[in-house]
This record gives sequence, C-alpha cells and structure tokens, in this order.
Amino acid sequence: MSTAQSLHQSRKRKNAVMMALCVIAAGIGLAWLALILGALLYKGLSGVSLAVFTQMTPPPGDAGGLLNAIYGSIVMTIIGIVVGTPIGVLAGTYMAEYGRFSKLTTVVRFINDILLSAPSIIVGLFVYELMVRPMGHFSAIAGAVALSILVIPVVVRTTEDMLNLVPNALREAGTAIGAPRWVVIRSVAYRAALSGIVTGILLAIARISGETAPLLFTALNNQFWSSNLNAPMASLPVTIFQFALSPYEEWQQLAWTGALIITLTVLGLSIIARSLTGRREDR
Amino acid sequence: MKPMLSTDLNVADTTVEKAKIEIKNLNFYYGQSKALKDINLSLPERSVTAFIGPSGCGKSTLLRVLNRIYELYPKQSAEGQVLLDGKNILDRSQDLNLLRTKIGMVFQKPTPFPMSIYENIAFGVRLYEKISKAEMDSRVESALKRAALWNEVKDKLNASGQSLSGGQQQRLCIARTVAVKPEVILLDEPASALDPLSTAKIEELIDELQADYTIVIVTHNMQQAARVSRQTAFMYLGELVEFDRTEKIFTSPREKRTQDYITGRFG
Amino acid sequence: MSAVSEAATSPAMRTREATVRRFAFTDMVFRAATRASAILVLVLLGGVAISLIAGSWEALSKFGISFLTTESWNPVTENFGALAPIYGTIVTSAIAIIIAVPIGIGIAVFLTELCPRPLRRPIGIAVELLAGIPSIIYGIWGLFVFAPFLQTTIQPFIIWLFKGIPGLNSLFAGPPYGIGLLTSSLILAIMVLPFITSITKDVFDTVPAVLKESAYGIGCTTWEVTRRVTIPYTRVGIMGGVMLGLGRALGETMAVTFVIGNAHRISASLFAPGTTISATIANEFTEADGAIYTSSLVALGLILFIITFIILALARYMLLRIDSRTGA
Repeated sequence: MSTAQSLHQSRKRKNAVMMALCVIAAGIGLAWLALILGALLYKGLSGVSLAVFTQMTPPPGDAGGLLNAIYGSIVMTIIGIVVGTPIGVLAGTYMAEYGRFSKLTTVVRFINDILLSAPSIIVGLFVYELMVRPMGHFSAIAGAVALSILVIPVVVRTTEDMLNLVPNALREAGTAIGAPRWVVIRSVAYRAALSGIVTGILLAIARISGETAPLLFTALNNQFWSSNLNAPMASLPVTIFQFALSPYEEWQQLAWTGALIITLTVLGLSIIARSLTGRREDR
Repeated sequence: MKPMLSTDLNVADTTVEKAKIEIKNLNFYYGQSKALKDINLSLPERSVTAFIGPSGCGKSTLLRVLNRIYELYPKQSAEGQVLLDGKNILDRSQDLNLLRTKIGMVFQKPTPFPMSIYENIAFGVRLYEKISKAEMDSRVESALKRAALWNEVKDKLNASGQSLSGGQQQRLCIARTVAVKPEVILLDEPASALDPLSTAKIEELIDELQADYTIVIVTHNMQQAARVSRQTAFMYLGELVEFDRTEKIFTSPREKRTQDYITGRFG
Repeated sequence: MSAVSEAATSPAMRTREATVRRFAFTDMVFRAATRASAILVLVLLGGVAISLIAGSWEALSKFGISFLTTESWNPVTENFGALAPIYGTIVTSAIAIIIAVPIGIGIAVFLTELCPRPLRRPIGIAVELLAGIPSIIYGIWGLFVFAPFLQTTIQPFIIWLFKGIPGLNSLFAGPPYGIGLLTSSLILAIMVLPFITSITKDVFDTVPAVLKESAYGIGCTTWEVTRRVTIPYTRVGIMGGVMLGLGRALGETMAVTFVIGNAHRISASLFAPGTTISATIANEFTEADGAIYTSSLVALGLILFIITFIILALARYMLLRIDSRTGA
C-alpha cells in the first residue's frame, strides 16, 4: 500500500517537473521573440525619420536615407513575384488537376519540397552561374530571377494544397455541365481556392522581401539611385548587411531602421496571409 | 402533382417506346475489379427511369457511365456500348464536353459553384452560346422558374449560390442543368441530403421535367423510386437483376432477389 | 416538339461543335503550360546541380579529394581546402539542433497538452511568426545585442567555471570574443526552433484521441502519455521535423555570417571564431579574384547542396511516412 502510494507520488512529481519544463520552454520561445522585437523597435525606431524614405544611402560618416534600397527591394520583389507566381500557380495546377494521379506529380512534389527549404545562397550561386557570369556583370534582373526561384516552390506548394482542398464534387459538377477542364479549373477550382492561393503569394512576398543571400552576388548593391534593371541595384537586406558590418555609426543606425522596416513588412504580410486563411477555416 | 403509380399508361411494355439510351453488353472496371457485369438496358425517351439497389450494387457507377464523368479519374474504364439516339457515346471519337451538354447531371450533395446565383446558371449557358444580356436574363429566369426557385431568389440573383439553403441549392443545380438545354438529365440521389419538404419539392419537379427530358434517377429510397419513376431497374452486385415498369417491380417482381429487396429483407 | 430537339438539328449545334474544338485546343495548351511549369521545377533543381558542378569543376579537378580534407584557405597562394567551413557548418548545426530539439518538443507538448485553449492559437501563431523573420534580422540582433551580452556576462563566467577541468577548459577556452562558433549555434537554435516546434505540434495532432484517452484512462500522467504514447507514435514525424530544422541550420547564411567571426581555422574552443560554408561564400564571393578562388567557393556551395539535399530528402521521406499513415 505505502509503496504504491510513494510510487504514485513520485510519478506525480516527475509529471510536475516535466510539465514545468515544457512551460519554461514555451516561455523561452516567446521571450526570444519579445527580445528580438524589443531590440528592433528600440534601436530601429530612434532612426525613423522622413529622411529614411526620401534620401539616398549616404557615403560613410554622412547622414542619409534608404530610398534607393527600398526602391530596389520593391522593384526586385515585384519582378520576382510577377515571374515566379504564374509558374508556381501553373505547376501547382498541374499537380492538383491534370496530373493529380501521375507519377510526375509525385516526383515534382518531392523535388519542390526540397527546393522549398534549400539554402537560398545556393540559389544565388546558381543565378550567378546562369546570368551574371555570361552577362559579365551584376544586375537587378539577375537578383529578381534569383528571388523568383525562391517564390516558385512556395507558390507551388500552397496552390497544390489549396486546390486539393476543393471538393471533387465541385469539379464533377463543372464537368457535368459540359465545361472543359480548363474552364472548370479557372472558373470553379481557382475561385474556390482563391484566398488560399493569395495567402501563398503573400507568404512568398514575405519570404523574398527579407532575403539577402541570393542578392549578394546577383544584384549586388548600389550606393546610388538606379532604375536600370541591367545594372547593379541596391536592396534593403544587402544594404543592412553592408551597413551593419561597417564601423560607421550612421550606417549602423540605418541598418537597424532598415531591419525594422523589413521585419514589420514581413510580419504584416504574414499576419494578413494568416487572417485570410483563418477566416476560411472559420466558415 | 400526382405520382406516376397509376395504370393509365398507354404502353404496357417499356420496350415499345422509343429508346433514348440503349445500353448494350456494358462492363465497367475500377482497375482490375469488375463493377458492372454485362448490363443491357433501354431507357425510353421523356420518362423517368429509376436505378435502385443496395449500396455498392453499381447503380451510381452505371449512371456515371452515361455522361462518362468517370473519365475524370484514372484506372476506370467501360467496355460495351451505350447508344444515345443510336450513336455510341463510349466511342473514342465522342467529344466529352459535347456529350455532357446533352446529358446533364445533378449530384447527391448540392454543388453550387462559388459564384452568384445568376452566374451559376449563366456560366453553363455562356460556354456554348453567345447571347445578349437580355436573352441571358430571360434564360436565367426561365431556368429558375423551371426549377421552381424563381420566386425565392428573384430579388437576390447576385447573392452567392452558397448562401442558399440545401434544398434551394439543389434546385439551383437543377436549374443550372436545365439551362443548358440537355436532352437527358441524370440525378444521383438528388434528395438524399435534403429534408422531407425539400425532397417533396424535388420530386414534384422531376415529375414536371419528364415532359421534356429523359430522366434517370439513382436512389436508395424505394418509396421515392415508386413515386417518381415510370420504370425501375433493380441492380445487385454489379448486375442488372430486373427492369420493368415501376408498378410491376413494386407489386409483382419476377425475381426473388427483387422481391427480397423491396420488402426490406436485405439492403 | 420542344426546343430541345430543335437545337439538335439547328445551326446552333454546328456552332456548338466549333466551340468544342476551340475548347479542346485551349485545354491542350493550358494543360501543356501547367505541365511545362511542373517540369520546370525539376529543371530548376537539375540546373542548380549542373551549374554548381560546372562552376566548381576547376577547383575540384585541381585539388581533388584533398579539397575536403585540407584546412588551409589561402587566397594569396591560391591553395584552398574546405575542411574548416565544413567543420564549422556541422558543429554549429549540431549544437543548434541539440539545443532546439528539447525546447521545440517542450513547446509542442505545452501547446497540445497544457496551454489554455484560448491561448493556443495566438501562441502557435507567435511561434510561427518567429519562423518568418528574415535571417538578416537575427544576424544584426546577434551581432549588436546578443554577442556583446555573451561576451561580457556568460562567456567569462563559463571560462572561469571550467578553468580547472580538463577537456571542458579547452572546449570553452577564452578570450571571450562574443562572436564565434557557440554564438552562431545559439542564434541558429533560435532560428530552427519554430520549424521544429510547428512540425512537432502538427504531428502531435495526428495522434488519435482514443489512443491518448485510453492511456489517460488507465491512470497515466500527462508526461507518461507524452513519453509513452504521443512521442513513440509520432517518432518518425518528429525526426522529419528535426531533419528539416537541420537542413535549415546547415544552409543558413546571413545570421551566421554576422556572428561567426570568419576565421578559416578549426579551434578546439567553441568560443573561438570560425566559419561555415555559407558564411564563407557570402563573405568572399564578390571579392574573390582569380578563377580558382571563385571556383573553390562554388565547390563549397556544391558540398552544401549535396549535404542539405540528403538531409532534406530524408526529412521529406519521414514526413511522407507520417502523412501516409494518417491518410490511411
């Protein structure tokens, strides 16, 4: 009787200890997020001013802004999305519709998942070999292509997943009315999966807007204003990288401010994306 | 509307009537397994034929052969002949989309498209016909009237099709099918997901539609088959056991298995 | 006669057939476009592999297998070996995983078993948001906030603590730079934590409720249910999540580049600066002059690609097994 009781006591104690550890683990996880965001806000906000958005990146030791870097980031992100999204949506469409039962789909899904988590710096090297080396110089368009290669797997994955959620009955209904497959896909399946696919695109934007490694040796950087796609172009992440590692205080401050801008953008996009699918689930 | 169990039919035997669809030596396979075994059946024009039988007997499979919707999936294949007005629709040269404009289908669960009520109907019409806005309006209206839905939705044609109740959604699907002017309408347990009141409305509708369309309905509900159909096919384990006038099937079936099923001894 | 049979013989039927032909054509084109896009995904990965092999050919043919075993990395004499970055990559990733796995599983247990229901979703989302923060943010934070903190507090303390203990005193030998292998490992641990957590949480959710309920039914504590039922049941899935985290840690570039110290040598001390494959490429690629230098950097990329490909393929394979089980 008493041994049974003490065994019970020790089991309960062990449980309490382990559960306490789990709570602590969760506390640690949340604390990191708070610490990082706190530091970002503290250091970044002090540098926020109108000049950040209206002036070019300054020479060492001078005051200035991030206008050309922000512009470059936006331009390359847009091109990356515009190039990558249609390819991703089409590939995802093949996997969920025309090729749903084909072997090719199984292979593409596997390879796409690997591409999804492959190191982005390798994509940078790939585009360097593919474009920069043959062209003989760094360029914004090479950077945009590198970003689009990162967009594709994200969009492929979400498009396939979301189309797979569209009930087959809806496809059959569209087919039964005499609509060819492409009309069923366009007018029924895409419509039903729209918010999910948009979520995927938003997540892809969030992902590439903070990517640094693939831009380092494709778009490189540019101290000055440039809208020439065939020339090196500044971007927010690469500018942050360069400025943060510099010994100049003004540059370091701009790096923090840039980091804050990127983080808020990415978090904002992720939250919008989540609320889109969240509403869907509730319905 | 009075159900068609009366004996006032001019024809004593179904084979006398003009056949809209003739099924000859039809076999159907899911991969290796044979789901339909040597089906021979003749569906008369402008009347309602019901397929009944226990679940898994192949009645839905047979229905899905008639518009070849099974082609959406791999490893499903049919052999034999299905003649629509004398032309074999299982023929390789048969265009599937064209076939489906002639043979419409309504499913077990209501499947409104993710668009407005108006668009749900206009969608199918627009595929094959170029007509003016005014013509389309009247087409939508007449289809909705045909499906006895017009009065309920005429003030909210731009509302989402998915905002309607289950019974209304199903009638929308019937309206959508009717709007493309098919010759045959296939109904796959169209009322099994609905409440009794909506079911009654659907049955009433089926009865009205048979003036213009050849209708095939699959149902697990024998009373429903008795109420709406002129002839009934009883299927069991992939075989067609008995096919006759509905009244005959339900009062004096030839086969013992039919007798057992309709008296509720199995199934 | 109704409109139905009229339509069958009228010119309307002929336009219908023309429409059908147009539809078939468009369908063929659309199908081809989707299929080509799907194949493009394969081509991309193939292209990556080919371009890396082509780009690294010069270095690999010059150094051969010794490229993998040489520590020296000397741009002046043009003598390159990948051992130091490989060592740094593996050590930092391994330590990161060792730290992140227990914490990640702990958070997943917390979220599935302990967390009050209303808090579950927000905390889950917060953890996933952590995964979305770009790595450069972790880098800048690590460099300016975390490393100085380690340098002034934790590192001197640990050095003092292990001073007299053989083995540990060389593993944690000073001076405290702040930046170095251990700092990189800690940053990587933070970065992979959300991945491991959210995948573990997802696979925990696949455990059938009856299984857990019957364990609770015979009087098991929460910990016992987790230890004896949930974790064994989801072992393969957790491994998949860990591998995915490992793949990410191995290839992570920017965060590490900031805090690793970029020293091409292998030191016994975890406090010493080192380098990783990706940090080396990020730091030196644009400044590399000479074909052999560039080619050696691409060769580093090829090594990283091969390692991560294997790890990620294993991860996907394991997660696939969990999926097929829940699907069945």
